[in-house]
Amino acid sequence: MKRLITILIVLAVIVIAVLVAGPFYTLTEGEQAVVVRLGQIIAVKQEAGLHVKTPFLDNVIKYPKRIMSWDGEKQRIPTKENQFIWVDTIARWRISEPQKFYESIGTLESAYARLGDVIDSAVRTVIAENWLRETVRNSNIIRESKGGSENFEIGSDQDTGQLSAFTRTDVTYEDVQKGRRSLAEEILTLSRKLVPEYGIELIDVVPRQIKYSDELTQSVYNRMIKERSQIAQAFRSFGEGKKAEWEGKLENEQRSLLSAAYEKAEKIKGTADAEATKIYAQAYSKDTEFFDFWRSTESYKTTLPKFNKTLSTDMDYFRYLYSPRGR
Amino acid sequence: MRNATPQSMPSWLKPTTIVLAIIVIAVIIFLSTSFYIVDQTEDAVVTRFGKYLTTNGPGMHYKLPFGIDRQYPVKTKVVQTEQFGFRTIKAGVNTIYSDEKFPEESTMLTGDLNIVDVEWIIQYRIVDPRAWLFNVYDRTGTIRDVSRSIINMLVGDRAILDVIGSQRTTIEVEAIQLMNDTFKQYGLGIEVIAVKLQNIVPPEGVQAAFEDVNKAIQDMNRLINEGKEAYNKEIPKAQGEADKIIQIAQGYASERVNVARGDVARFDAVYDEYRKAPDVTRRRLYYEMVENVFKDETGTTLIDRRFQNFLPIMNLQNSGTGAENTQGVKQ
Repeated sequence: MKRLITILIVLAVIVIAVLVAGPFYTLTEGEQAVVVRLGQIIAVKQEAGLHVKTPFLDNVIKYPKRIMSWDGEKQRIPTKENQFIWVDTIARWRISEPQKFYESIGTLESAYARLGDVIDSAVRTVIAENWLRETVRNSNIIRESKGGSENFEIGSDQDTGQLSAFTRTDVTYEDVQKGRRSLAEEILTLSRKLVPEYGIELIDVVPRQIKYSDELTQSVYNRMIKERSQIAQAFRSFGEGKKAEWEGKLENEQRSLLSAAYEKAEKIKGTADAEATKIYAQAYSKDTEFFDFWRSTESYKTTLPKFNKTLSTDMDYFRYLYSPRGR
Repeated sequence: MRNATPQSMPSWLKPTTIVLAIIVIAVIIFLSTSFYIVDQTEDAVVTRFGKYLTTNGPGMHYKLPFGIDRQYPVKTKVVQTEQFGFRTIKAGVNTIYSDEKFPEESTMLTGDLNIVDVEWIIQYRIVDPRAWLFNVYDRTGTIRDVSRSIINMLVGDRAILDVIGSQRTTIEVEAIQLMNDTFKQYGLGIEVIAVKLQNIVPPEGVQAAFEDVNKAIQDMNRLINEGKEAYNKEIPKAQGEADKIIQIAQGYASERVNVARGDVARFDAVYDEYRKAPDVTRRRLYYEMVENVFKDETGTTLIDRRFQNFLPIMNLQNSGTGAENTQGVKQ
């Protein structure tokens, strides 16, 4: 019984010792390793799973096989027109050849440093060689846009068209030859030239953020404010113009309405006068002499009472004034 | 108790007990590392000696114990969200957002070289748990970086007003496409379901100017309405006035014609009688007329026809008016 226990314990110790020192090691998915025997690389393992090594002699150095991130410090770079912008670049990379990586770099920390040198300089070169618009824009689709038209509603199509013409910021956007993606490609190509000897594969390099430097930002703000207030002015001025137009229309229609009414009224009166004239003429022409007499007496009745009169007894009316027999 | 034999071991330290204990512990470890439960929201990726073996769905599963097989649960059914430019502190009925700004995420240049602040979210789901676990090192960082660079690029391609207004949806749609392309290229194992642009505003320094344009549009409409108001105030009134003028004219016309007809009717009537006895009628009419004219008069001067030179002098003196004077000269 005692012997059995001893045997068991000894066996357990041996098994544990062997397991601790090797010969087995595992690589999980997403890992790769170089096996170094006495300072010399004897194998590169990229398959996950259980692997064998020589205990005590072999040293297994594991590297990630996954895609790694690189996040650089943002840089202040002048563009071709000498405007300073902040460019924040990121990159994806992986260790494609662990052997070279082990030889030339060794650790991930120094890989990041090395990548920083390479990519930063490539970014600087490419950005500085190109116009700002090439960095900011990616294509020419901005030209197809309605040119930053304002959104407003004033009810009449004609007015809307007229006002759009005022407020449209008709900028002809410069042609973009390459665009952001192509520049990123250029940066990538430039960076890639240097990294293969490190056993590194660069997958992409893209700008994560681009913005104006602080001094430039303020003047851009001022420009934006001016641009807006210019458009606001157009709206207000258009409103005033429209108001004046309505006032003019008012005056016009008021005058034409009243004058048309005057015209019509005079015509109506004229027709009536003509009618009356006709009626009088028809009746009175029956006996012109009697008409004279009649009309005169009628007229005297209305006009004479207002006169300041001094009469002569010569009138027929006074024929019997001095004598019953008349004069 | 004291009389326990010192050379013999305690009963619980007997070899059989030790072996039994070891076996029991081993079984417990065996069992606890052999079975695992996968939640309904998850898939579990299983590796054997670190190598990918299989992916299991929800339920209870068996695996080799002692760390030979390992299982990694991955939430494949859950839609995950990343926020950019803002952070939710506490979601709820009244969601609380952080007051902090994240200009390093939200500040962007637009295609017309203006500055704009964009906030957005992306939603994604893990579709390939194996790829998700093993292909990319800094997964969340990668998702955020790629999302930011793509939104930056899309915004940089458009004019600021389009970004704020009409092109929002286009940006969202294109962003989903581009992000999925990039993530597929990386083999990240996720699918972006939605990109939603939230607040898109001009930077704080110029917001007032942007607001002012809206105010200007309001002002414009106000001015136009003022013009219309004045118009509407005067024109219907003027129409009424025009109608009035015409109505008056028509009244005049009727009156004129009617008066004429009346005058004529009277004339005709008198004329008919006159023809029967012209001379007498004529005289009667004459006397009636004179009577009519003078019956209410008080200040009339009557001069004998033999006074030849009196009349002109009188007239000059009385060129004003005065009933007394004329009375004084009465014969």
